[in-house]
This record gives sequence, C-alpha cells and structure tokens, in this order.
Amino acid sequence: MAAAEPQWPAVLRTKELRDKIAAAKVLCVGAGGIGCELLKTLVCSGFRNIEVIDLDTIETSNLNRQFLFRKHHVGQSKANTAAGVVKGFCPSASLTAHHANVKEGRFDLDFFRGFDIVLNGLDNLEARRHVNRLCLASERPLVESGTAGYLGQVTVHLKGRTECFECQPKPTPKSFPICTLRNTPDRPIHTVVWAKDLLFNRLFGRPEAVSDLDEQAQREDGQQAQDGAADDASASATAAAAAAVPDDPSFFLRREGPDGPEGALEYAARVFERVYTSDIQRLTEVKELWEKRAPPVPLRMPDLIPESDMEALRTALRTAKEGGLASASKALGLSNASQKWTPAQNASVLLLAIAMYHETRKDEVGSSSFDKDDDLAVDFVTAASNLRSTCYGIPEQSLFDAKGMAGNIIHAIATTNAVISGLIVTEAIKILAGCLSAVRNTFLYEFPSRKRQLVTVNSEPPKKGCMVCGKTQLSLRINTETTTLSSLLSGVIKKRLAVNTPNLLAGGFLYEEGEGLEDDEQAAYAALLPRPLAALPGGGLRHGTILTVQDQSQHFSVDLILTHTDSLDPEEAPEGFLLEGELPAQGQGQEGAGAEADKDGASKAQAVPEEEAPGPARRMVAASVRETDDGVLCLDEEEEEAPKPASRKRALDEGDEGAAAAEEADGGAHGAKRAKTDGAGAGAAAAADEGDDEVMLIDDDD
Amino acid sequence: MGPVVDPKAKRYDRQLRIWGTHGQQRLESCCICLLNCGPTGSETLKNLVLGGIASFTIVDGQKVEARDLGNNFLVSASSLGEPRAKVVTELLQELNESVSGSYVEEVPEVLIADNPEFFQSFDLVIATQMREQDMTKLDDICRATGRAKLLIVRSYGLVGYLRASLPEHRIVESKPDSQLDDMRLNQPWPELVAFAASFDLASADDVTHAHTPYVVILLQAASAWRSAHGGRLPGTSAEKAAFKASVNGMRRTADGVPLQEENFDEAAKAAFHVYGTYEIPKEVRGLLEDEAAGPRLRADSDEFWVLVAALRAFVEGEGQGTLPLEGSIPDMHATTDLYLKLQAVYREKAERDTAAVEAHVRQILGRLGRPADSISRETIKLYCRHARHLRCVRYRSLAEECSPETARGEALAAALRAGGGSGGRGGGDLGAPPCCDGALYVLLRAADRFFAQTGRYPGAPAALSPGAGASEVDPADDIPLLRQAAMQVLSDAGLGPNPRKSPDSGAGGGLGGLGGGGGAGGGSLPGTAAGAINEDLLAEVCRAGAAELHVVAAFMGGVAAQEAIKLVTRQFEAIKLVTRQFVPVAGTLIVNSMAATTTVLEL
Repeated sequence: MAAAEPQWPAVLRTKELRDKIAAAKVLCVGAGGIGCELLKTLVCSGFRNIEVIDLDTIETSNLNRQFLFRKHHVGQSKANTAAGVVKGFCPSASLTAHHANVKEGRFDLDFFRGFDIVLNGLDNLEARRHVNRLCLASERPLVESGTAGYLGQVTVHLKGRTECFECQPKPTPKSFPICTLRNTPDRPIHTVVWAKDLLFNRLFGRPEAVSDLDEQAQREDGQQAQDGAADDASASATAAAAAAVPDDPSFFLRREGPDGPEGALEYAARVFERVYTSDIQRLTEVKELWEKRAPPVPLRMPDLIPESDMEALRTALRTAKEGGLASASKALGLSNASQKWTPAQNASVLLLAIAMYHETRKDEVGSSSFDKDDDLAVDFVTAASNLRSTCYGIPEQSLFDAKGMAGNIIHAIATTNAVISGLIVTEAIKILAGCLSAVRNTFLYEFPSRKRQLVTVNSEPPKKGCMVCGKTQLSLRINTETTTLSSLLSGVIKKRLAVNTPNLLAGGFLYEEGEGLEDDEQAAYAALLPRPLAALPGGGLRHGTILTVQDQSQHFSVDLILTHTDSLDPEEAPEGFLLEGELPAQGQGQEGAGAEADKDGASKAQAVPEEEAPGPARRMVAASVRETDDGVLCLDEEEEEAPKPASRKRALDEGDEGAAAAEEADGGAHGAKRAKTDGAGAGAAAAADEGDDEVMLIDDDD
Repeated sequence: MGPVVDPKAKRYDRQLRIWGTHGQQRLESCCICLLNCGPTGSETLKNLVLGGIASFTIVDGQKVEARDLGNNFLVSASSLGEPRAKVVTELLQELNESVSGSYVEEVPEVLIADNPEFFQSFDLVIATQMREQDMTKLDDICRATGRAKLLIVRSYGLVGYLRASLPEHRIVESKPDSQLDDMRLNQPWPELVAFAASFDLASADDVTHAHTPYVVILLQAASAWRSAHGGRLPGTSAEKAAFKASVNGMRRTADGVPLQEENFDEAAKAAFHVYGTYEIPKEVRGLLEDEAAGPRLRADSDEFWVLVAALRAFVEGEGQGTLPLEGSIPDMHATTDLYLKLQAVYREKAERDTAAVEAHVRQILGRLGRPADSISRETIKLYCRHARHLRCVRYRSLAEECSPETARGEALAAALRAGGGSGGRGGGDLGAPPCCDGALYVLLRAADRFFAQTGRYPGAPAALSPGAGASEVDPADDIPLLRQAAMQVLSDAGLGPNPRKSPDSGAGGGLGGLGGGGGAGGGSLPGTAAGAINEDLLAEVCRAGAAELHVVAAFMGGVAAQEAIKLVTRQFEAIKLVTRQFVPVAGTLIVNSMAATTTVLEL
C-alpha cells in the first residue's frame, strides 16, 4: 500500500500536486477563530476553490483572534465578510459564502459530493456530528479540528479507513437535577444556571423554554413520589414540591393598571420580593429539606435598597434610556468586571436590568434567549445568581466569572488557531496528494510535554461498535409511561443522538418530520407529541420495543431498544433517561491500556479514552457524560459548548491519584493510546486543583 | 489592578480568561521589534498585534515582489514594489487600533552590524528567517541591553525552528496543571490541631458526624495513631493501610453496618495527606539556594530575587522548613458553617505567614538601601500564594550553544541517536521513520554554513542576484557540500564522523574527504551521530531550497507568538488540562512537518 502511494513529503514539490491543490474544491464549515486562519492558510497554500458556511455574525469579542474581521464588521455575517476579505487578498480565488446553518436541507448529500474535501472549524457538537454523517454518506474526507485556549486538535476521518468523528464518544454538557437548582443549590454554578435557565426565561424568554423545565421538574417529582417515603431526600423534595406555589406565569408579567402599565422598577421590585423573599421563605418552611443542611435566608428589599436609593435607580434608568446605555452595571458605575458586587449592588443591578429590559427592549420580552455577549443579560444573570447565592451562603461571583460560567465560555487566542490551521491544511494536502498513510491525528499541548509539543498518532480503524459508521444498537432506559414523545424527541433523539430531522419507526408506529409532509400529516404527527410513549398508536413504545431512528438528511439510522423503568435517580440521570451503548469486546492490547489507565484513577475523569476502560462491555453513556470533563480529545471550536467540568466532588476524588499517575506516566515510554490517556489524566488532576466551577476559567488573583 | 477599560475588556475577553488582567497589562506595555516580515514574521506579529501589545517596529530591507503575494497574507498585489516593512505595518495596524506600529526599511543584518543601540528600546526582539552567525551577534546585543529578550523563529521547507534567548526568565505564576492543595495535614500548626481537637465525634449527632470535614477526621485519626505509635506517623505501606482502616473504623454504624458517610469516603481518599512528608519542591529549593537571592542580591536586583530571599528567611525562621501556607482548601463534604470555619483557620494562618514574609521583604529592602515600600503588599501576597510554583529558567547564549568549547556534544549525540525525541513514536505507528529532529537541527545549521560559503541556501538560486537570470539549481548537486557542512557542525560539537577513539580515518582532522562520493560510506554508520545525517534528509533539505511554506509559517507564527506571550506575561500559562512540563521552551524547538513531530533540544 505504501509503495503505491506518492512519497510524502517529496510529492509536495510536484507540479501535479500544485495543480491538484489549485483545482480542489474545498468546503470550510465555520468562519470563526479556526475558520479565519484556515481560509487564509488555504489561499496562501494555493487553494483556489473554497466555499464557506457560517451561521454567525461578528462580535467584538471575536476581534482578538478572528483577524479577517475589523471593528466596522461587527454585526455582519462571518461567512460573507471572511470570503470578501480573502477574495480581496487573492482575486484569482473563487470564494462562495453561505450565511447559513450547515444543518439546513440545501446542504445535502449532493452538495457535499460537490467537494473534494471538507474542513471543519465548528463550535458545537451537534453540527460537527451532522457534518460527520454527511461526509460518511457522501464519502468525502473530513478534517476535524478544535481549539480551547492553548489546546488544539486536528483529526482526519476517511470513511472505511479511519475512525469517524463519532467513533469516540463525546462528552455532552452536564445538566443539573432541577430540584437542586430550585431548592437546594450549593455551588455557584447552580445559582448561575438557575438565573440563566429558570429566572431569565421566566421573565424574558419564550414560554416554551419554561414549560420544558417544568415538565422536567414534574418528572423528577413524580419519580420521587414513586420511590416512596423510604428515602429521606426524595420525601423532602416531594414535600418541597408540594409546598411550592405552582408558578403562575402571569405573576411575572408586567401588569396593566387603570393608569397604564406598572412602573418598570415597581415591577422589578415585585419580582425581587417574590423570588428572594417569599419563595425563599416558603422553602425554609419545608423542614425536611433542611435537616442536613442550613436553610437559605430570605432577602428583604428595604435592607438592600432603602427607599432613598430607589430614586437613584429611577435616575439611572432615565439616564440609561436617554443615553442609550446597554448595560445596567455600567449605568450604576460598576465598571470593574473582576470586582464582586455587594448584595446591595447586586440588588440594584438586578432591578435596573429588569427595568431596562422592559423600557429599552420591550419587543424582546417573551422571546429572548440568554446571550453571553449581551451586556444586559449578563448583568441580570450575575446579579440574580449572586442574590440567590447570598441566600444560600454560596460564594458570589464577579461579572467576569459569572459570564464565563453562564456562557460556557471557552477562552480563545489567536496563536492556537494559527497553529491548528497550519496543521489542518497540511493534512488536507496529504489527503489530496493521496498520501493516506501519512495522515495523522494531532493534539497540541501548550508546553512540550516530554519534549513534545505536538502529540501525533496514527488514526485508528473504524470502530465496529460505532453507532454512526458501524452498525450498532443502543439501549434506552426511560419511563415509557410518563415520558412524552415530545421530550423523547428533544432530549434523546435530537440532543443526544444529534439527529436533525428524525423519522421514527417501530412496528405499527411511524413518526416523521421534515419538508415534504402534507399539512394534514404534520397536524397528525404534532398531535402525537404530548402523548406518553406507551400510549402512542401501533401499540405504543414500550418495554422491549425496538425503535428505529432515521435521519434522511444525514443518511443515518440507529436502533434503540427501550427498557421501561420507573426508578431513575435524578442524580444519575438528570435528563430523565439513560442511554447505553452495546460495545463489542475490546481487543486485548487496548484492554490492557485501559486497565492501566483505570487503575491510576485518572482516566475516570477523562474525556474520550473512557471507552477503553475495561469492565462491563455495556458502557453507560450517561455515566461517561457525567464523568468526563476536559474534552481534550473533543474540543469544539471555541465559543460555545464547553464540555462542562465534572463535579467538584468528583474531581477531588481523582485529583491526588491522578497527579501521582501523571508523574508515573512521565517516566516511561508510552504508545499513542497511552499518550492520550496521559493528557486526559492530567485533566483530572487539573480539575482537582481548580474546582469545578473554575476549571474552564482563570483565577483572576483579585 | 484598576478597572478594565470597557472596549478592551470586550475585545480581549476570551484571552483575559487565560492570562488575567495583569497578564494583559504586561502584554499591553510590551514593545516588540520584528526582523524580516515574510510569512513567518508577519504571522507571528499578527498574532501578537491581535493580542494587544503596546507597539511594534518592523525591520525589513526588501520590496514587495511577486513571490511575496501568494504566501504572505499581509501584502497585496497593489503594493508591488513598495517596502515590505511599510506594507505589512500598515495592514497590521488595521487589525488593532490600540497598537502603534512603525517600520525601518533596512536589512536586519546591516542594523545588527552597524547600529546595535537600536535594540535597546525593545522588550522583545523577534528575529525571523535569519542565520546563526547573525543571531549569535544579535543575542549578545540583546543581552547587553539588560532588557530585550530574543526570540528566533524560522520556517525552512517543512522544518520549523524556535529558540528563545535571555539571561533568565523569572516566573511567578507558573499555573501548573496539576496541583494538590497545600493542606499541611502532615505538619498541622497549633490552631489547626486545636480546631480538630474541638470536635467530639463520639457524641455528635448523626448529621454533624456525617458533615464533619475530612480534615478534622484525618487529624483526629493521626493524633490517635501518633499516641499509639510513639509519636510516629504511618511509614510502611502496611502501616498506611492500617491507618486508612482506622479512618474507616471511625465511621458510625447502625446494627454493625457502616452508615453512608461521604465525608469519611473523602477522608480515606485523602489519607495520604497525613503520611506524605512535606517537601519544598526541588525547583523552589534550587531558587532559595540560588546565589542571586544570596550573596549576589544587590540594590538593583529584580524584585523576584528580593522575594526569594524573603521566602528563604521565612523558611529558615517562622516557617520552620515550610513555605508560607497558600490558605485555600478544596471543596469538601461539610455543612456550610463548618466549612467556613475551617476555611478561616487556613486563611488566618496564610495571612500570618504572608505578614511574616512581608516583614522580611521590608527588612531586606532596607538593607539594600531601597525604599521599604518599593514592593507592594499585593505583590508579596502574589508571591506567597504562588511560592510553590516560582520558577527561573536560564537560557544559554547562542554563542555557548555553538562554540566548540561549550557545545553540549553529548546532548546532541543523544538526540541524534535517539532520534531526538519521542515524537514519532506514536503507539501503533508502525513503519513511521524514526524521528530525525536532531538531524534537522544539524542540517539547519549546516545550511547556514553552506550559505556563508556560497551566498545561497542549498537547492536555492543565489539570493543576491536580482534579475541575473537566476539559473536553475539542481538540488542534488548541493548535497555533497551540505553534507560537508553538516559534518563540520558535528565536528564543532565534538562529534566527528569518526568517534574520537578511532582516529584511523581522517587523521588530519580534515573533513574534505567526506565531501565527495565517500560520504555515503562515512555518513551511514548506524548508531553514530554522523549516521543520523542520512541521504534522505540531505536530499529533502536541498529540495526544500529554504522555501518558506505558508503552512509551516502559519504554524510557527502561532507557536512563536505563544512563546512570546509566555516571556512577556511572565506566566506559564494555565493549560491545566494537559501538560505537566512547567518550563517554557527552554531549548531549541524543532518542528518537523514531514513526520509531524516536534522536539525540544537542550543544547
């Protein structure tokens, strides 16, 4: 095989290859941090036919690295702007931009078949999985990449020859049991998520966003009711649920009085009193919750904002309105983002932020969603979470830190993107040259680890047990009597399986989505959504049902074997289900490496080599999600979707031994598998010293 | 640090999350000089301008030519014939308006030879695509300024080269990736002991029992162990196991079954904190003993060494062999109230320790005749909190690396024998050629010698013959001379083609005999340094013709800018996730895009 291949790197200087590069049609998915560098490196390396897809528009916080963009481009399409700038540099190149989501139907198989190679610089897992499936179906080579801070990776995926992107399971963001968020938070991330997902949506978001969470809460409550009173915790949670006043959404609407609408600050004060005084007070009365922990302390507005200060807020609101200010904290003179606010300052920011939302952005109320680059939304979440933290004795956060936590912000710098783009194009050239034996997966570390800065490994062959490129079945443990089709679709099918337009088939049951359905079909399918799985037509989706999930657009299909259960622990399965993969037995060699990694304790908290861990062949996908955190082998392209860190407790457990293992690993020579393991192992150790909430952030040393 | 100016906070948000506002401030006060703005130099500087340095000055003597257009994104066709330095400066300024840029249209080598004072006004000089002989001179010049740090970057075909040079790089925040909390359970101070003893676990109610912090449990267990073992702590592995068992034995039971108590699970896992011995990390011990903090401490010493001297006084005095306590504790299973109390015990001790160090600092400053308040309390706190992770990296000068008297021949020989590193040794990487990064290092230096002799790089047409009908060069013709130059490099490092113990061939010490066809024989001795310089590599370097490929330039530009940021921010950055090697690239980084390997040579 090697003999038949052109010789790398000698082939590099052949005219034949230069011509191939100039003629090659390249698809770049993403025009962000990696994308900008990539487009530049491509044209500077002789590529002339490039199409680029990106959904995003340019933000100020992109400018520290997305060098094709200038300040005056803020707000414009990344794809269009990047293509325009590159075209200006190299008029002989053909650049086509699509300001669109790669998951749209027009980017179908035929579209992908129009390219010789696909290069990903994406910021979210769902889209990366979607592109992976289309590349497999269209048999197009895919070069995948990701960066986070100083770390980066480039992997090559060739159908039938190497692992596909999804052969290695990817961690998905951690979610928290909703009862913890609502009743018993004990860490900053809990109050931040509460402020962002619950309170923000309640006040400014779409009604559906709230009802999804309500449904989850009901599921947990029902769950615990079923568990009976044997367990203290669930009994108390049930009691708490009973005690909580059912949230009447209309309470949180601004009232219309005979003299016009309720004043914006008065409305804000009413929300404050409800959320931080009466709701907290009511919770403290649920004695069962506080047998093992200190109850929260309600806050009272007059203690924090005396009537005299309300006038100052009114002035600030007027000034903000007239001066077109976008930030409540700035309007109050709180300009140091690293300085924690006092409770009184938090209360002022909260009130002003709510009032400003209503006075300056009224149209968005009811349809807003949290955006980390929206100053007012960040002000609100910071203040709202800090006040709740004050109630519960949890450390408050600075705006900078709260923003990082709420936005899952991955730090990002120009240098890593530059390095990674050089590597992506090098691999792309190898593929075009036909030097398939020379392709490598590369992992970039910051400091030369054992004298290396890059760790390169040969690609593994495709995994037989991969649900995407292999053919395998997954087992789904779920309550078929209480889970609705709607939450199956959103929670399992779309979120966890990354299916875009699902078709579901099981015995006499059929459900379809997507274009091409008649109106009456759509209506009939929509009517099924609220029904519990077991009550669906064709006998229902019940214990033992094999449900085939297909996505025509992705040419993807997988079978789910359902297992009915009515006792899922919300800690273990916060999403309300457990997805388990059926894996073939591992080869001996890998088993050995896995065992070693497992013994040293570090691998438990690592991202991907998880699958090498020995033991039961049935791998708990949900468990791996809970335990993974660093995402070293699964870096998304900055911005979104940082794999959430493991819980602090978890990290603590692994920390000491992880560090010891890391030292031990330094000593000897290891294979590639081992190298991966090392990296992730150090991640576990890192989590130990940082604590969960800060893992992805930095310590600002006041 | 003061409030952050808003637009910058937004622009730099994602990087502030890595190096913090003080790291950013250092970057924003840094003046950089770039020598040569081809793709490698332009890409490096582009990444730093985006990050927000104070200013840059580009020195480049060339005009924009057609060959610049394809591979340097910072020049455009409309600027053909204009000074390259001017064009790149203008484009870079567009990237970040808070950075001020200027240029000097001059050949860097001329500046090095004629105007060494020029380099005094920079914090960092980045020299790209330059040769060893000039770099050695520039290194001396930069060191003499007492200010300018030097970073040498090079893209040569598919090979990249990076080397920093400065007398010493002092780091306060090394932000290591894995760090155990400084718990001191092996050496508890009296207040901590008293705090632990104040708990009566036996009579505590179930809730308190299950929410007593593990620190208390372990200290009580340790105290019990000490009384039963004549004051000793567990030493052997059997004793350690017994100690863990004793911790588990403290669990509360119901009908003989231990209750589920998470704090005891944590205690068992953290038991090693008790019997592990306290040690000052060896790098820090090295610093405490360093002459720079001892006899060579002077009025003009860097604050770093004043602090190290103060820490040393603390270790020898109040600390009784320990560094100041950092004062933070990890999260643990406990009631909020107990956790806060425990936290206070640690914080108070840390504050006392810091105050003691501060007293030493004031005293030392007085002794040196410097104002006692010339180092702020905040700075002292920063050093105390990072005391375990202070580092100082000293770089050898290029002259030391290259001259026969001081060259580290052994290290080079080892690199050549071992393939220079472990880069190519990925598991299952069957059939991949052994890593040849050590040989590439030799060949890059050999290419410079080739240039010195011929005025051009191997495989490349003469550099200084504009329009003179640049005759095509057959790369293969240059192999013998390049090989000869490589053997000279080896010979200068004490690694002749014939090991010193077998002087039978080449008795005259000359290398001429290797220049011709005999080279294949001389250069293929397996396992010898010369054997590593094989025909394939020679051919590849000649084929490369010193071309500056954009993929390599982009890569090196990223790596070099990153290294520059480490030097400027005085942090080793926080890639807590993967690495455990805390030093910045202390040697020469060789990047080999042929085999996708990187190697650091400490020469």
